[in-house]
Amino acid sequence: MNRNPNAFLKEEYDELVKNSFDWKLRILETGSTPHSVVDGKEVIMLCSNNYLNLSNHPKLMQSAIDATKKFGAGSGSVRAIAGTMKIHMEVEKRLAKFKRTESSLIYQTGFAANAGLIPQLAGKGDVIISDELNHGSIIDGVRLAKADRAVYKHKDMGELEKVLKDADKKYNRILVITDGVFSMDGDIAPMGEIVKISNEYGAMTYVDDAHGEGVIGPDGRGIGAHFGIEGKIDVEMGTFSKAYGVVGGLVAGSQDLVNFAYNKSRTWLLSGSHPPAVAGAQLAAINVLETEPEHVNRLWDNTKYFKKELNSMGFDIGESETPITPVIVGESSKAKELSNGLYDEGIFALPIVFPMVARDKARIRTMMNAGLTKKDLDYTLDKFEKLGKKLKII
Amino acid sequence: MISKISFVVNPVAGMGGKVGLKGTDGVLKQAIKLGAKPIAPNKAEETIEEFISKHSKDDIQWFTCSEKMGADELKKAGIKEMEIVYTSNGKDTNSNDTKNACKEFLKKQVDLILFCGGDGTARDIFEVVKTKIPILGIPSGVKMHSGVFGVNTSATAKMLHEFVNKHLTIGDAEIMDLDEERYRKGEWNIRLFGIAKGIVEPTYVQVGKTSFESVSDDEIKDELTEHIIDEIEQNKDYLFLFGSGGTIDYIAKKLDIKNTLLGIDAVYNKKVVGSDLNEEGILKLLENYPKVKVILSPIGAQGFILGRGNLQLSPKVIEKIGLDNIIVVSTPSKLASTPYIRVDTGDKKLDQLFAKKEFMMIVIGYRLSRVVKTTL
Repeated sequence: MNRNPNAFLKEEYDELVKNSFDWKLRILETGSTPHSVVDGKEVIMLCSNNYLNLSNHPKLMQSAIDATKKFGAGSGSVRAIAGTMKIHMEVEKRLAKFKRTESSLIYQTGFAANAGLIPQLAGKGDVIISDELNHGSIIDGVRLAKADRAVYKHKDMGELEKVLKDADKKYNRILVITDGVFSMDGDIAPMGEIVKISNEYGAMTYVDDAHGEGVIGPDGRGIGAHFGIEGKIDVEMGTFSKAYGVVGGLVAGSQDLVNFAYNKSRTWLLSGSHPPAVAGAQLAAINVLETEPEHVNRLWDNTKYFKKELNSMGFDIGESETPITPVIVGESSKAKELSNGLYDEGIFALPIVFPMVARDKARIRTMMNAGLTKKDLDYTLDKFEKLGKKLKII
Repeated sequence: MISKISFVVNPVAGMGGKVGLKGTDGVLKQAIKLGAKPIAPNKAEETIEEFISKHSKDDIQWFTCSEKMGADELKKAGIKEMEIVYTSNGKDTNSNDTKNACKEFLKKQVDLILFCGGDGTARDIFEVVKTKIPILGIPSGVKMHSGVFGVNTSATAKMLHEFVNKHLTIGDAEIMDLDEERYRKGEWNIRLFGIAKGIVEPTYVQVGKTSFESVSDDEIKDELTEHIIDEIEQNKDYLFLFGSGGTIDYIAKKLDIKNTLLGIDAVYNKKVVGSDLNEEGILKLLENYPKVKVILSPIGAQGFILGRGNLQLSPKVIEKIGLDNIIVVSTPSKLASTPYIRVDTGDKKLDQLFAKKEFMMIVIGYRLSRVVKTTL
């Protein structure tokens, strides 16, 4: 058959462009700093996940340099064969201590953790029970599993219990899986209740705390610490790429979990391990979180001030309990207009529109940064107010 | 792009309700005698007014009927330009007027029929247009069991806007109405008359980080088919009863099973062992097949899985099969508009037993289910 094997590449890309679904990559000319230069323009950064500004912390940078000098630029192998360095083991030991769990395991990315571990935890004859708003990487991990899947309404513990009751009769293993902090609305999963109900039915619990690690709980120790249930969540999964300021997925839990995970997760087994610089920076990030509480404190001071002011201006800021603050404006076109207006004023915040969120709940999603000053926040708030009035949002 | 929307009002729809009649079909004179006043024209006008006030920019070419069958209501709501494609002769309109109007709409190749009426009106329209044109109903009848109605006038106006702007897609919608034959014998039964095309919220899947693709109903039904194939293979010693409705009909066709769209069929070992069965036929089969599972799908606007269009699955049949052997499949878009699952078996005890379950797991994709509340 006479076929052009590459024709679909352009066709599908053109279709994305036509529907404005393509990603127009924004280029940072600086580091990911509170004031970044994006596409040649200096902006106040409100859409990075670098919550604590640790990516620019001198101790993290120095630790990365030191590790590189000592161990080189790359690791040479996958972890399982010859790519496990002493420094990798040290990070895992320190992380478990920080998370107050028996053990921990570092994956190449958060996605690699979910895509690699979830399919191993539940197979044929098992069921995975999922919050309807779980992150795409959980959904993909679940898809790779041979288990049945059941969905409950967002944070609805009544429904979760019903699904568990039904599953209890039908399945061998049950895995309950949820985001810790939900990235669109910034609300927190009721983890204490989830663990309690799941225990009653002998179900394993798994939380993806990507937006909670380094942010919620004392010293930013994450969702387990936030609810005072450290070590009680069977799998605490998270990431080094957001508040920790580096990159890498993490799993904290029992030694049994870690032994199982690294022997069975294909993503972990088949990807090269982190370069020493990454491990060095991870180690320093944990040290900084333990010894410099001011970063987490400043993040929360900024968050509270920003939310309070937006609220008093009359903006709908949803039900967020975290430094993710959605500014809900209604129609998609309005969210895009507001985002563009903010960018013109030197504020970088992305619009989130249907079908990511409901059609009448389009929004600007802002993510607070500990490195922003009160002056930065006042400038930003002033622009929000002016544009909000101009666009008749407030 | 301009949308061709046709609009028909059944001016007498709903008149029987206020005076205690179970519909207005055939009893209009009696209803008027009892003091009934027209309802539909106001509801129609209200809907169009709301639509125009909120979505005046929507580009629509209107096709309608003379006077109170549509033109009056459109004019009152402020629409000046319309094409009147059907003029009613008599003073009092009846179901033939609705049907004749629809024949004209078909000729004009309209994109949607917006109507104001009840189940009887929906049935008249469906009889003429079948699945050629999607139907959207402004609820105004005494009976509104069909799946083509908006929840209220305001929701219907919003649906019209979403349809014109291509946010909504076309999906199955059941046409339900009172079974007159049984009604004359003193029984009150709602029958499934056919599967029309309605407008529904599409199902979305995430493709990029923030980009989504809508999935067609057929793709979802393919997934449901895969699920049912697994069920059948894992339960080789079970007899499977296939219920009625569009979703189950689709699954059966994919399985190469000759299925009755509006009836109950029995399948064992992927072979049909009973077609369009009545209660007696099912009970007889159950004597030979002790292990049975029944596949159902919510029918109509209120999410009934039993008692609407499948009375053959009588309380006696269900008791024998067992509530736990009911598999309910549904497209997510259908569930979005029917948040509850109900039964109306005619046996109060069984209905209550079902409601007491509080919830059912509904299969919405391949090996994917979600919890839905049950209610009376």
